[in-house]
Amino acid sequence: MTHSAHHPLPFISEPTATDSAISVRGLTKRFGEFTAVSGIDFDVARGEIFGFLGPNGSGKTTTMRMLTGTIAPQSGSIRILGEDVVASPEKVKRRIGYMSQKFSLFEDLTVDENLRFYAGVYDLPADEFVKQRAYVLEMAGLVGREKELTANLSVGWKQRLALGAATIHEPELLFLDEPTSGVDPVARRHFWDLLYDLAGQGVTLFVTTHYMEEATQCGRLAFMYAGRIIAEGSPREIREQHLLDIGDRDDSGRLRTASIEDVFVRLVTREREEAGR
Amino acid sequence: MNWKHVRLLIWKEFLQLRRDPILLALLLILPVLQLVMLGYVVGADVKHLSTAVVDLDRTVTSRRLAESFASSGYYDITQRPAKESDLRPLLDRGDVKVALVIPEGTESRVSAGEAAPVGIVVDGSDSRTASVGSGYASQLIAVFNAKRIAEQGISIAGPGIDARVRVEYNPSLRAVNSMVPSLLATILLLTMSSVMSQAVVGERERGTLELMFVTPISRGEYLVGKLTPYILIGVVQMSLTALVGRTWFGVPFHGQLWVAVLGLFLFMLTTVALGLFISLVSHTRQQAQQVVIFIMLPFFVLSGFIFPVASMPTVLQVVTYAIPLRYAIEILRGTFIQGAGARELIWQLLALAGFSVVMLTLALFSFHKRLSD
Ligand SMILES: Nc1ncnc2c1ncn2[C@@H]1O[C@H](COP(=O)(O)OP(=O)(O)OP(=O)(O)O)[C@@H](O)[C@H]1O
Ligand SMILES: [Mg+2]
Repeated sequence: MTHSAHHPLPFISEPTATDSAISVRGLTKRFGEFTAVSGIDFDVARGEIFGFLGPNGSGKTTTMRMLTGTIAPQSGSIRILGEDVVASPEKVKRRIGYMSQKFSLFEDLTVDENLRFYAGVYDLPADEFVKQRAYVLEMAGLVGREKELTANLSVGWKQRLALGAATIHEPELLFLDEPTSGVDPVARRHFWDLLYDLAGQGVTLFVTTHYMEEATQCGRLAFMYAGRIIAEGSPREIREQHLLDIGDRDDSGRLRTASIEDVFVRLVTREREEAGR
Repeated sequence: MNWKHVRLLIWKEFLQLRRDPILLALLLILPVLQLVMLGYVVGADVKHLSTAVVDLDRTVTSRRLAESFASSGYYDITQRPAKESDLRPLLDRGDVKVALVIPEGTESRVSAGEAAPVGIVVDGSDSRTASVGSGYASQLIAVFNAKRIAEQGISIAGPGIDARVRVEYNPSLRAVNSMVPSLLATILLLTMSSVMSQAVVGERERGTLELMFVTPISRGEYLVGKLTPYILIGVVQMSLTALVGRTWFGVPFHGQLWVAVLGLFLFMLTTVALGLFISLVSHTRQQAQQVVIFIMLPFFVLSGFIFPVASMPTVLQVVTYAIPLRYAIEILRGTFIQGAGARELIWQLLALAGFSVVMLTLALFSFHKRLSD
């Protein structure tokens, strides 16, 4: 990909809005009476792999849909790649890619037709399409299967094709909503290798997942619960901070080494208990 | 509006349609089958109508005319009463359904190049029998005249025999030929609105719609890209059914062709836009289908397709003005049967134009709203 030449160094100070890939303030979304996302703030630096965790229904997909401009928030601000998405969602569309939670390529088109369609959607010139198509087919392991109907691909290949379609226009920022759900461990590992490649090329990744070993591979994490962000930081920071927080000791009195999964389960349990009181 | 995007969307839609043979059949083959089937329901039982011939002329011409009726297959000449007054009891008893009365002097009038009226009396108590009985009689006489002209040479050809059809018992009868024109519109409504109602909600269910709006494809481009393929298919369907109606059933057409075509096209736009609107406001495909079924019933009942509008209670007559199918049927019956043109049907055309604009606007408007959650 072409925009890989330089990507920003990690920030020491608080990143300003224009420097970060995503900057969200006070973001709120209500569906009728129900508040799905409740005044969240966070920043994602350019080139970062940002993991977005949370139990089912905590508002991850809703947040992502607001970030990609498909739905409008009730209040709050979103800056994506320096552009105000709430005011003008069209501006960044060519610079972002999106892989939705549900496989959403056209099942009744072939692999090739899907790629051709998405290349057309982003107005890729013919020579660029030839190049990108070859790259995507190679990346997804679909060389020789171009004429196959997408419906007939197995889940792992579908996900890689979806990734290929979402990156065919070389976006600077990629949103991935549970990209590896239902994918076997080998294919999942392979998929994450592809994500690392993209990150290595300077693409910012915003990923939701329920797999904790995937979460630990992210540069930074945010935990969502009931529409709020309840923890944020690098996997290590989160582990250490919440280990002390919880102060859990094993039978012999030593502080237990918590995994991200432990922290996740405990945070969620604690929140539920507090909500119950 | 980026036309490259629209073209791309149309290309995609046609690829998908090509892979869905059932849908294509529903849009292109089924309508023709429906028309043929319904046409035969009307046409099948009117062959071999028992017919009385009152030949007061007793000439070669009159015998040949009667013979042409007998050999057509539609009329079985079962009675040959000597006087016209003998007809009434035959019709009253139902012994004959049709009577052909050839007055004295027919041959001499024809030879002199004058118009020669003949009488056709039809039992109107069964409207289908009656309309077919009289409709074919007019056609037979037209053919008879054409043959005569061909045989005798154009120079001495006069107006020939002039059919004077009289429908007994049910004088306000509509010809069966009114069935096929209204079927053109009705079948269009049935197929296009139900298929179109699935189009967007299907994409919403599959998630492909949401993905579309993360891309630079605009809502307008998407709508035009969605509508165009179905409008094209609608045009093909219209042409197919109209062609089959004209050739297979020999439905005559007397009016201004462009008025009929424009009327049917505007109605098709309304239908497609209605389907699109339903598709946009529905959450599931099933729901959309139910809405379509729910809407169809008043359309059929209140359009004049089955029951004449004039015979409805006043309140319902007012409601019929809100039924686009009503205008389409008026335009088609008007042009096909009554030989009407733009002057007579201008209000119906304007009404359909209005409906299509309103429906399309409504669809566009609801599209904006629906994607905000
Ligand atoms: N269009 C909508 N209308 C009403 N409620 C909605 C809508 N979309 C989402 N919700 C509700 O908002 C809440 C958050 O949903 P969301 O899909 O964002 O959760 P999630 O964190 O992505 O969950 P999962 O891990 O299951 O994907 C849920 O309770 C959901 O039912
Ligand atoms: Mg989700």
